[in-house]
Order: sequence, then structure tokens, then C-alpha cells
Amino acid sequence: MTTLRPFTCDDLFKYNNVNFDPLTETYGLSFYTQYLAKWPEYFQLAESPSGHIMGYIMGKVEGHMDNWHGHVTALTVSPDYRRLGLAGLLMNFLEDISEKKRAYFVDLFVRKSNKVAINMYTNLGYIIYRTILEYYSGDQDEDAYDMRKALSRDVNKKSVIPYTQPVRLEDIDMN
Amino acid sequence: MAHQQQAMDTALFERRLRPVYDNLEVGNNRKALQESEKLLRKHPNLLCARALKGLSLLRLGRYEESHSCLQSVAEEKPVDDSTLQVLSFCYREMEQLDKIVELYQHAVKLNPGNEELLAHLFVSHVRVEDYKAQQAVALQLYKAQPKNAYYFWSVISVVFQGIRGPESCIPEKRNLYLALAQRMVDKHIKEGKLETEQEAFLYLHILKLQNKYQDAWEFLTGELCAKLYPGAPVSMKFELLKKLGNWLELNKLLQELLDADRDRWDYYKEYLQSCFELLKQQPPEQQEPAYSLKTCHDFLLQIIKSSTRKTRGPYLARLELHQRMRAHQLPAEELVGDFDELVIEYFHLFGDKSCCTHDIALFLPSISMEQRQSLASKLLAESGVSSSSLPQNKEHMQKHICALQISRMCGAHIELSTDHLIAFYTALKLHYEHGHSTFGKELLSTEMGPSDPYALLAANVMYDVSKRESKSDYLFEALCLLQYVLRNSTSNFHVKLLSLKIYHMFGCMVGAQEMYDYLDIKQIQLDSMGYVHCNLLPLSGRFSGVRNCYDTTLKFFTNSYKERLEYISLTYRFCTFSKMEEFMNFKERLTNSLMYVACSVEAQLCDIVCFYGSIQQNLSAYVAMSIEPADDRISWNELSDNRDLQAIIRWDPLHVDDTEAERKESFEQEIEVLQIRSLLLRLFASFIDLYHAPQGAKVAMSNDKTRTPTPGDDIATVELLRTSWTGLFQRLRLMNYKPLSQNFLVNLLPTRLHLLLKLPYESFFDDLAQLVMDLYSGASQLALQCKKVSENVVSVMELCVQTITESNEWNGMDGLWKRREHQQKVAASLEILSLYAFLLSVLNDKLQCSAKTKAKKKTSGDNKTQEPISEKERSQMLQELMRQLKHKLEACDAAIRIWKPPTLPRELSSFMADMSLKPEVEATLIGDVSATFKESHELMITELRNLLKDKIRMVGK
Repeated sequence: MTTLRPFTCDDLFKYNNVNFDPLTETYGLSFYTQYLAKWPEYFQLAESPSGHIMGYIMGKVEGHMDNWHGHVTALTVSPDYRRLGLAGLLMNFLEDISEKKRAYFVDLFVRKSNKVAINMYTNLGYIIYRTILEYYSGDQDEDAYDMRKALSRDVNKKSVIPYTQPVRLEDIDMN
Repeated sequence: MAHQQQAMDTALFERRLRPVYDNLEVGNNRKALQESEKLLRKHPNLLCARALKGLSLLRLGRYEESHSCLQSVAEEKPVDDSTLQVLSFCYREMEQLDKIVELYQHAVKLNPGNEELLAHLFVSHVRVEDYKAQQAVALQLYKAQPKNAYYFWSVISVVFQGIRGPESCIPEKRNLYLALAQRMVDKHIKEGKLETEQEAFLYLHILKLQNKYQDAWEFLTGELCAKLYPGAPVSMKFELLKKLGNWLELNKLLQELLDADRDRWDYYKEYLQSCFELLKQQPPEQQEPAYSLKTCHDFLLQIIKSSTRKTRGPYLARLELHQRMRAHQLPAEELVGDFDELVIEYFHLFGDKSCCTHDIALFLPSISMEQRQSLASKLLAESGVSSSSLPQNKEHMQKHICALQISRMCGAHIELSTDHLIAFYTALKLHYEHGHSTFGKELLSTEMGPSDPYALLAANVMYDVSKRESKSDYLFEALCLLQYVLRNSTSNFHVKLLSLKIYHMFGCMVGAQEMYDYLDIKQIQLDSMGYVHCNLLPLSGRFSGVRNCYDTTLKFFTNSYKERLEYISLTYRFCTFSKMEEFMNFKERLTNSLMYVACSVEAQLCDIVCFYGSIQQNLSAYVAMSIEPADDRISWNELSDNRDLQAIIRWDPLHVDDTEAERKESFEQEIEVLQIRSLLLRLFASFIDLYHAPQGAKVAMSNDKTRTPTPGDDIATVELLRTSWTGLFQRLRLMNYKPLSQNFLVNLLPTRLHLLLKLPYESFFDDLAQLVMDLYSGASQLALQCKKVSENVVSVMELCVQTITESNEWNGMDGLWKRREHQQKVAASLEILSLYAFLLSVLNDKLQCSAKTKAKKKTSGDNKTQEPISEKERSQMLQELMRQLKHKLEACDAAIRIWKPPTLPRELSSFMADMSLKPEVEATLIGDVSATFKESHELMITELRNLLKDKIRMVGK
């Protein structure tokens, strides 16, 4: 049972029960403000009937020509509100907005080790498009999967023909 | 040719300037200065190099030189982009935003119609929120380059004049501006030039601001809006239909939406409201069957029946319908059914989800205490777990947990006897252990243990017992349990937050810091969560040891303070009209954060207390703080409470727990604490400034050039602040604030307000003010005042010594219960004496200096018959004060040396004996927790003794 509404600056003061989760990154202010200023409709929040933040999705839309696509930058659900299909709801929302913006596909990056997330995205219709080597830096660098789902504008599903060769971040034309 | 030459020059200069930029970038300011000077020797007129020199000087803290350097560049009215950029950067750093406006005004005058310069000018107006000027520049921009963005910059500037500008409070003006803004957009629409969704949003916004809801509705549902703004949130439709009172349409729309999307609380809420409104709208005399809530109920039932996948939505909506009907004195039971049964059905279906507790809690306040308790017992019975049976699987366990949480919320625990509570605790502990060993193995390190909530509840219960018995044993045991849970479930932040709280209650700073670090609090969390740790550090018993935490917090704030205006410019750049006001309000909230202001004041006080260098070093560190005693820089009425109090989970009885009241009360008290602390800082600074008049830095940094300090100013400042000081205490005593309730574990710890009122802060610094002034003028009562102050010193020393004796005595009974309070008292005594020590060292330095130069000044305007006391005598009296302070500091040190570490409750070996823990696990666990307490005490002792050693040296010369 959820209220979906745009994420606002004030929510940054209240999102701790979500962001204390170890897999959720707390970014610097400029990161959030940039998304809020540039893609306000892509930053959406799920609120519980009691007014708690259940989770949120942060994304953007970018790219040229048939690479015009929605991108999921962060998706997180508070531990108290898992197993309710909330991630799917938020993903639907982002796909919907991307459809309205006439994007060809939606993509996202996920840690290769994050089995739970990969599984979930697969169930939502995403495929592993390619592997990006050492995308996540840290004590031990980790590869990312670039996962994609075609939208209705991509009639021939050209955007989801997987790459067989892994690529490096610097080799990708992000636009 | 000339052009080519110029281009070559630009490229050349850019290359030459590069090293200066590079050095500034990496913070190598000294080298940057050298590089810029080198360049200026060759090209003395290169404006950008001069501006960069100004920036380097600014970064090096050489404010006066920087100021004149920048001034001279500005006077040449530069027009090149790089010089302007550097200058505006400097002015931004110095918060002289109006200078940036001037800068670009000149530049635009010389290059009329230059798009880039105009855009900079526009942004400079945005920074100072001058909407009128924004409007004018935006129109110039549009004339120069007819881009939609510029046109709408001017539209939004008109809107802001109407709703935020100085004239916004005059209704006629407001209407005028909004009407103008609308006409501007209307014209654009007519010309077919509306292009983006944000423009469409802005138009809707303008219409709504003027209450033109029908027009807004027509536009929103019209063709143009559909084309430009396909993602317009459906909530906009709700809003407008509600404003228009078109409940029927709203009702229909929501039925459609809910049919497609059955789990949306926002939809159900609006839907139910529309149903109740339709009910209200029925004229009583109407013969046709009136709208009845049966339609609503049937709709919900139909959703429930036709859904293949069970979602919480329609069930919660049914409970909400029940609740609302009762509130309207309508026969809820008749239509919807028995409330308890509905809740139980909900519990059956969704009790295995951890959010079930929050869901049911929503409806508890609407029923009586008796009903709550009986419902709670029913749920417990429904959960099927009793004293003789254990949960069969994870889901079953979660149901049991949910029922237990609800029963606490219903007040079941506060009525149990202490013995019962302890038995309950044991049961919870065993449930935790059972759940952990049965369902909690093979967890990912990022997952929380499924049985962890038992332990969290157990900690709350043990606090209840501790509170009732005024004994720490139980709570200490809870801490050990939590630490045990944390080993099994390393990512459970609830456990960390509760442990952090308990460590603070017991004055164990090392443990608290450990938990805080473990939580990895950063960025904006430093503001919203600072209350759990950073705000508890002042007077906790550590001084230099807590500086790090202040620093990290302040660094976040100063960075975001610098960036705060750029966020707003960003919304203009992307023409995100829907976010502009939000960003402006956010900026205010962040800049006026109580956490920010309080933390800066505490950090400054802490620094002065910790001074350990030579008198010159200390003084220059003091000057660098640029405290201006006469100037209260805090906007008291704007202070903002940014705490996220909901981050800490709780299930306390709903009829007693009132988070919002607690928030209000604690916030008020924290502001009063800040009043005391900031006034203490300013008063103390005025003492220092009287003898060590600040020059240079402060004056150059201040915007106010007209004011030149006169000799009498400083003494008047001391007088004035002293009056405010005693006045403040008088007021606070009259206000009679109550200490914050400590009913439950999750309640906020008491603020320092009562501590500060109880300890001799007021009289000590009041008398000190007199002493400082008497010493300055050589007044005849100086000797008397010296005596008074030394008596104060004795009593502060005694407070310290007695507190430690008391603490040692308490060790025989309960080493932890009063620990925090004792540490606070000792810390406060040492804070007072340390400030006093620094003051004496400054006075002594000054008197010795003037004695050496033999410059015997005549005190001007002195109409007293008595001659002022000679400087030599004054110096002697001062020496005596220093001698006395040294003695008392030594007495404090002697007491601290014998301050015993807290004895921990009960026999350690018997701890948690009834747990199914492996003995070796148990031993290391308790060993670790005990070691943390011991280490914390030892660190504190070392730190306090070092502090005293420094102060003894400071006054010992």
C-alpha cells in the first residue's frame, strides 16, 4: 500500500531509515540536487500510509537518436518494506515516464554479485546486455552488468541484442 | 589581424595562467601566489593574474591584501570571462554577493546585448534573490537571443515578485504580478511558442496561484498539455477536482485508477474523501436514493474479490472506511463489520510482513484503551505462539513479532509487574536465539536477522525495568544482548542506534563513537542524524577527542553553504520551475540548521578550552576564529529543526508517546542551550578583545566599512553582554522548563539546559566580567573582585572534586546509573576553569607588556576622586590569581587521578547465563563490552589530565 510522489529536497532529511541500508549509497548534496533540477520527474518516492519513506527511485533520460533511453541510477527499498513488490512498482513508474518521453529502452547497472537484484530485474523483463569490467571501484573492484529492457518505441527490439564481449567503462559511449 | 593577435594572446595567457589554477585546485595556495606574482612581473596588467593573486591571498587568510588586490581589479571594470569568473568566485567565498552583481553590471554596460555576460548577471541576481532585477535582465536576454528559456526566466521572476518578493504581502500587488505573469504566458501560447513540460507546469502553477481552477483544469485536460506534458502527475487532477468541488468526477476517476492500480494509498485516500463528500452533498429532501457508502464498500469488496494477488491496499482502505465512518458517527460496524475481526483478518493475511505493525498502528488511536488491549491479546492468541510453543517458520515468527510490537503499542507492557517484565525479557531473548539459530543462518552480510526484532523489543523492555528500579543492571544486560545481535547481523542499523543511545546514557564515549562510526553517517545525515551523537558530545567528558566529529559535521555544512546558491542557479539553467521554490526553501533549512549553528559554537568553545600553545599561538588561533562579540550572527527566529526523529524505530505505547511534542519541547530547549553557549562565547571573547583588540582579519572580512571602533566600544560591549548574560539566566529560570521525559529508551536524552542552569556558569562569568572591567580601569574595588573570583574558582574546583568523590562512591552501588551526569559536571568544571586560565594568561601578557613599556596611560574621562590602582599592583593581583588557579587545577588533577573506572553491574560471569550461548562466545562478548567501558574511562582520564597539565603550564609561568 503505497503513495507515489515526487522526491523533494525535504525528503533528504527524512530518508535515513532507507539509507542506513548497507547497499544504499548516501551521496553528496550536489548529486541529488543535480538530478532534482535536471530530471525532477525521474526521482520518485514511495511513502507508506503512516508517512514513512518506503523507498525511492532516482533516474534520468539521456542519449541521442536510437540511444535515447531512461536510466536507473538508484533504486532502494527500506528493509521494513521488502517483499511487497515495491521495487517493481517504482521500476514501472520509471518505465512509464520513459515511454511518455518516447525513450527506446531503459537500462541500469548492477553489481555482478548482487544476485537478489539481478534476479528481480530479470523478473521485471530486463536482460543482461553486457558486462562492464571493474565498474565499481573499492577495496576490490567489481564488474557490473548493464541490464536493459526495450520500450515500445524500439519496435524491433534492437536495443536489447546482447553484447557478448565485456567492455570497459571508458569504451562506452554513454550517449 | 588584430583579432588573430588577440586570440593568440588569449591562448598564450591561458597557458601561462594554468600553473596558478592548478596550484589553487590542489590547495597549494602559497605556490599559486608565487606563480601569479611571477606572471605579474612580466605582465603587470594582466587582470586575470591579479585576480588570481587576490584569490591566493584570500585562501592564505591574508584578507587585507586580498581585499585591496581584488578591489583594484574590480575598479578596472573587467569584461573578460576568466577575470570575472575569478572575481565572482572570490566574492562568493566572502559572501559579498552584491559585488558580483556590480561586476557584471559594469561588464554588461560595456558589452550591451552580450548573452553570456547577461546570463551571468541574471544568475548574480538569483543569488541575492532580487526578482525585479532578474525580470529586467531576463527580458534583455530574450531580446538579445529569443530563447524560450529566457522568456520564462522573466515569467518566473514576475511570479516570484508576486509570491516571495518584498511586495508579496500586499494582496493587490500579488494579484497584479500573477496576472502579468499569466498574460505573458497566454501571449506565448497564442503565438504557439509553448515548448516544454516545465513551461506547461509553470502555467498551471500561475493559474492555481490565482485560484483559477477551472482554467487550470481546462488547460490540464486540453490538447496542448497532453502533448507537452504527458507525464503530468495525476495528483494534479485530484487537486483541481477537489478545488472545483467536482467530487463525482473525482470519484469516477479514482475508481478507474484503482481498478488498474490496486495498491495505491494516495488513490484510496482521495477516493474515500470523495465518497464522504458525495454523501455530504446529498440534499436531504431529495427523494432518489442518496449516495450511500455502500457503493464505496462494495467497490472495495469487489477489488478484494477480483484480485488474484493479495495486496494490502483494499484491506487497509476498508479499515480506513471503518475509521472514518466512526469519526462521522455513522454505523461502521453495520456496513463494514466488526473492527477487531477486520484487523485480525488483516493480520492473518499480512502479519508475516514487517510493515504490518505500522499498518495496524494507524488505526489504533481511533479505538479506546480497553479495545486496544483486548485487540492486542486477540492478535497474540492468533499468532499461535505461546509460552510453551515456538514459531514453526519465518513467517510464523514474523507474525508473533508483529503481535508483540502491537501489544507494546497498546500499552500492555507498562502494566506488567517488574518480575513479569524480566520474565518477558528472558522469553524475548530465547525467542531471538531460537529464531537466529533456526531461521537466521546463511544470511547475507547485508541482511538483517529475521529474529532481530525480538532483541530490539527486549532492549526496550529492559529499559523500562531499569527506569522503574533506577538501576543500570538491566539496561547493561540489554546492551550486551544488542552487541551480541550485532555480531550475528552486522548490518542491522536499529541495533546500532539503540546501542549508541545506551552507550551515551552510560557516558561511554568510546562505545558511542564505535557505533556512530559503524553507522557510517555522512553528508546530509550529519545534519538529520547529528542528534544521536554529535549533539551529545559537548560536556560529555571529552574535549579534544570530540573535535573530529565536530569537524566532519562542520565540513559538510560549510561545503553545502558554499554550494547552496549554485543549486538554485541549476534550476534556472534547466528551467525546472517546479523545483525552484523547493530549492530556495531547502537552502534556508540547511543554512539555518540548529545543528550547524550549535556545532560551530561548540567547536569554537572547545577550541578555546583546549588551547595549549604559547600565548602568541593561542591568540592568533583565537583571532582566526573571528568571533565578533558585539555582533549576534545567529538568526534566532529562522533556526530550523532538521532532525529525523523517525529514524529510530519504536513501539512505545501510543497513548504516552508523542514524538511531535517531544520534538517541539526538545527543540525549544536546544535553542535555549544555544543561547547560553553562544552568549558565553561572545561574552568571553569580549573579555579577550578588551585587552587584545582585534585588528586586521576581522575588520577586513567584515562587510561594514563605515564603522570604526572607538576606545569605549569594547568596554561597552562587555557591559552589554554581561547584562544579556544575567538577563538570559533570569529569563530561563523563570521559564521553568521541565527536563525531557525519559519514559522510554528511544526518548531523547535530557538537553544540557538544566545542567547549565544548575552549575555556576552564570555567577562565574558575571563576576569575571566585573573583574575584567575593574582590572582594565584599575577600579578601587579590584581587590574585592579578585577575592570574589577566587572564591568562585574554589567552588568550581570543589564541584569537580566532590563530583568525583561521589562518582567513586556510586561505584559501590551502581557504577553506570549516574555516570553520564558525573562526567558532565566534571567536564563543565574543567571547561570553566580552562576558559578562565586562558583569560588570565592573556591579561597577564598584556599587563606585563604595558608594565615593560612603562607607558603609563591616563585613564580618560575618569571623574572618580580615587587614583586608579597602579599597573604594577594590578599585575601583582593577577599573579596571585594565577597562583591560586594553578593550585586549584592541581587539586582537580589529584581528584581525577583517583577517579575509578565504572564498576559494571553484577557478576560478569553470570551474565546471560540462561542464554544458549556458547560459553566462549559469551565470555568474549562481555569481555569486549567491559573493555570498551574501561578504555573509554581511561581515555577520558588521560585527556582531562593532559588538559589540566596544559592549563597549569599556561598559568604557571
